[in-house]
Amino acid sequence: MSAPPLLHLQQLDASYGPIQVLFSVQLEVQPGEIVALIGPNGAGKSTVIKSIIGLVRVLRGQIRLAGREITGMATHHAPLHGIGYVPQGRILFARMTVRENLEMGAFLQQDPRERRRLVEEVLDQFPQLAARAQVLAGHLSGGEQQMLAIGRSLMMRPKLLMLDEPSLGLSPKYVDQIFAQLLVLRDQGHTLLMVEQNAARALEIADRGYVLELGRNRFADRASALLENEAVRRLYLGGV
Amino acid sequence: MLWESSVLLQLALSGLLAGALYALLACGLNLVFGVMGVINLAHGELMIAGAFLSWLAYRYIDLHPLVVLPLVMGLLYGFGVLLQRWLIERLTGRDELTSLLVTYGLSILLMNLGLLLFSADFRSVPVLQGGFYLSSLDLVISKPRAVAGAISLALTLGIFGFLRYHRMGKAIRAVSEQPEVAMICGIDVAKVRQMTFGIAAAMAGAAGVLLSILYSFSPETGGEFLLKCFAVLVIGGMGNFLGALLGGLLLGLVEAFVGGFFNVQWAEAVAYLLLVLVLLLRPGGLLGQRHAVF
Repeated sequence: MSAPPLLHLQQLDASYGPIQVLFSVQLEVQPGEIVALIGPNGAGKSTVIKSIIGLVRVLRGQIRLAGREITGMATHHAPLHGIGYVPQGRILFARMTVRENLEMGAFLQQDPRERRRLVEEVLDQFPQLAARAQVLAGHLSGGEQQMLAIGRSLMMRPKLLMLDEPSLGLSPKYVDQIFAQLLVLRDQGHTLLMVEQNAARALEIADRGYVLELGRNRFADRASALLENEAVRRLYLGGV
Repeated sequence: MLWESSVLLQLALSGLLAGALYALLACGLNLVFGVMGVINLAHGELMIAGAFLSWLAYRYIDLHPLVVLPLVMGLLYGFGVLLQRWLIERLTGRDELTSLLVTYGLSILLMNLGLLLFSADFRSVPVLQGGFYLSSLDLVISKPRAVAGAISLALTLGIFGFLRYHRMGKAIRAVSEQPEVAMICGIDVAKVRQMTFGIAAAMAGAAGVLLSILYSFSPETGGEFLLKCFAVLVIGGMGNFLGALLGGLLLGLVEAFVGGFFNVQWAEAVAYLLLVLVLLLRPGGLLGQRHAVF
């Protein structure tokens, strides 16, 4: 780990309203890797991501992106800093078309021609969406919605892509598809930080993993090592 | 005699033109509701502000209302942005009762300010006398009505096109659907809300200028129009932009026919009859949806 981390959380405390959810959380993401953040319900996994993009209040600690401090940034500056975000439940603009959803992902691109070009680029990458570009997002299937949410987050070519529970509520077929897509993204050079309930699947495609429990770091290791770890298997992977 | 086709056409045309003004006013109200979830009870007073600006310009500097129209829209846009920034922004996310109380207070404040400045006397801006004679159809349409109706319709459709096709218009729709996700896309949600309220206020101001060449008005006229606007919104479907346009045109049409066949007093009440009818038969409104649609 000689290169400076792309994302670096140091001693992060964060709260939802009056309730503190994160306690001194440490996390690093290196350029080009997939990092999985796993742990039981209520461990604060989503809160970590939300505190990075300013949707949750950071009490103490530091968030650095490529060496630059971004602690407590305004959420709408996320694309400027090179952060893409796929919210939990693949929230889309349901009453806008697939194309319009992608356009919103490139909202900060003022030049309409450049914006159209970015849309075409992402549609090329997701042929399934290209066929349905004029369909209202609310009418897509679950898997297509997740693809669209990912596509939208890629519009501004983020340095770091954060995904909150990308497999949640998807049928097994679509889960396979989404995870395959995430690997493709990594191979294209994207850096991914993923929160995932489906810990085993997440660790299978991840390079490294963090296990969070009750808002605190519990384990951190290479993903393959976590998959082998007795305690992790027993507690979080439902194994024996 | 009443059933002659030229009379029916006359009523239909003047009804649609009058309805276009309702539509312009109602669409602004609807936009604010759709994006902020705020029912702006001061929307009628914003319209009357436009009407008095038109009257002042005509009376004291001899400016034609149609020249004043873009200036009034600009002024009201600015006023709307400031209102949103200082007052309405604090109401987003609160329950509806809070926003109703605050905008009701604002309405009373603005109306009494109007009474203080202009008294309760009725004013009008008597420009555009006479009518256009359409020889092919053998009908006469009064000039103020034709001009006000056409401009109302053009503005309403213009705003609709803006929401549909412009980058910022799309951002307004995005914020109305999912403010948090809109933020993640890089949209400054507070700014978009200010713009939305500004546009709605500008639409109300424009409606006021057009009102000033059609009818006589006093500071208390806003409330009457706002009530009809609510009828229009419910008829068309709350939060639905095209629904408000349709509802406005429909109300104008029905008022014209009831006024033509019965009497004008009945025409004043017909909005509420229509409202009851729609609520009985199609409670979601004609283009009703549970959410905002632009």
